[in-house]
Amino acid sequence: MEQTEVMKPESLDDLIKILHKIFESDSVNVEEVQNIMESYESKPQEWMKFAKFDQYRYTRNLVDEGNGKFNLMILCWGEGHGSSIHDHTDSHCFLKLLQGQLKETLFDWPDRKLSGGMVQKSQQVLLENQCAYINDSIGLHRVENVSHTETAVSLHLYSPPFQTCQTFDQRTGHHNTVKMTFWSKFGERTPFETTVSQENN
Amino acid sequence: MARFPSIDDCAVLHLSRLQLDDLNLEHLTDSKRQQIHQLHLTNNRLSFLPPSVCFLFNLEYLDISNNTLTALPDDIMRLTNLKTFVAKNNFLDESSFPKEFERMPVENLNLSGNRFEDIPMQFLKMTTLQSLSLGGNRLKNIPAEIENLTSLEMLYLGGNLISSIPPEVANLTSLRYLVLCDNRIQSIPPQLNKLHSLLSLSLHNNLLTFLPREILSLVHLQELSLRGNPLVVRFIKDMTYDPPSLMELAGRTVKSHNLSFSLSDLPSNLVHYLNLASECPNPKCAGVYFDSCVRHIKFVDFCGKYRLPLMHYLCSPQCSSPCSSNPQSDAESEDENSVPPDRLQRVLLG
Repeated sequence: MEQTEVMKPESLDDLIKILHKIFESDSVNVEEVQNIMESYESKPQEWMKFAKFDQYRYTRNLVDEGNGKFNLMILCWGEGHGSSIHDHTDSHCFLKLLQGQLKETLFDWPDRKLSGGMVQKSQQVLLENQCAYINDSIGLHRVENVSHTETAVSLHLYSPPFQTCQTFDQRTGHHNTVKMTFWSKFGERTPFETTVSQENN
Repeated sequence: MARFPSIDDCAVLHLSRLQLDDLNLEHLTDSKRQQIHQLHLTNNRLSFLPPSVCFLFNLEYLDISNNTLTALPDDIMRLTNLKTFVAKNNFLDESSFPKEFERMPVENLNLSGNRFEDIPMQFLKMTTLQSLSLGGNRLKNIPAEIENLTSLEMLYLGGNLISSIPPEVANLTSLRYLVLCDNRIQSIPPQLNKLHSLLSLSLHNNLLTFLPREILSLVHLQELSLRGNPLVVRFIKDMTYDPPSLMELAGRTVKSHNLSFSLSDLPSNLVHYLNLASECPNPKCAGVYFDSCVRHIKFVDFCGKYRLPLMHYLCSPQCSSPCSSNPQSDAESEDENSVPPDRLQRVLLG
């Protein structure tokens, strides 16, 4: 099968330029995006200015708004920090590790007759530079930094961009809608974050 | 052994990832030595702390993580300005530190990823400590002496073998962040509600089936992680409770009728017993109970989390449960309020 030549991004800026070009068209070639993201070799000096940590929970730091076609953000995970089980509001989600490791646990959507809690479908540990993909038809996931000694930094691309998603209680399958806020945008701290976490983790 | 390159930023010395098995700083002039405030020696091959390091008199920050240290030399005591000491991922344990280490003015100590089975006594005397991390070790318990660390704001003990939390943890009133995830904890002492400064509590991946209702009074708590605990989802509806003993019934009568009593009326053991009476948390019930009580699990929405099982005691099944602090969640709770009181159950806990 003939594949379009994939340019290896030389830098984070280069990756962003390539992504802008790819997302000019309305259709998303998931494999192409995943390959491009994976082939960018993480260099901390290129993304350090976006990587702002919080002591108590993981942070979302906006990097680029993709001309309205996608959101590119960097998430910073302290030791033990994890997310709730969540969906992706009908969007594509790409997750690349820039530093450290993250555990991704997949779940099916809970059905109404749920008893005994939501059961995990599968689990994987994502290593540095690996890029995972998920969307609502694949299922739901929880992402965690299970290390007690290392922090983790990940690069996320969501297309189209979304501001709310659903979080799920693993014990009951009940869900509620949460608003996604940014800890920083374009390297500047943006204190719009609510002080009370809405996540179920 | 390697020599360091010329220092541009005099205060910070970066010597990580250089495959160092030793370090010689002897050729440094005294003035150069005095300038160094921060030293990074991570990811090398150091099986001991190079003696040269101990002569950097103004050193405030030392990170020697990811090496193969088994012990620290007495000479480390020379670093009288050391505020932050990080030695993650080495082979240190409770016998690795000099006896006098408690005299160090260290404020931040991070020893995650080592081989500690106990928290060394020296650490429990370091009243300057603001942040202590012993994540990913082999700790079996938390000693009561932890309460001596009165300046502690951050305590990270995730990833150990801890099965219970001593109530003395509650005396760490400056504590903002308490991490106990990935342990074997079965219950949380209700006294933890005294941690008025607590902003974040990490309890995920333990053996908790419920939480004490006192946790509701942690009004500043922003973050509470509970995933991976066998939390009770429904309380079971067919349990009986053990009827109270005659002594208990007599004691309840004395207390509920406010009968006065003293050592001239009763043997001292009974006076002691009467003073142990706990009040039924139901505000509509003036009852007291001694040993015989019904545990009732109330599901409360707290901190944005959906329905935490909280436990409190009722003096008898006839006593209906007191309200939670959140009337909204009462309305949402499943069929709990329609259960006839005589069928309320005490939940069996493992």
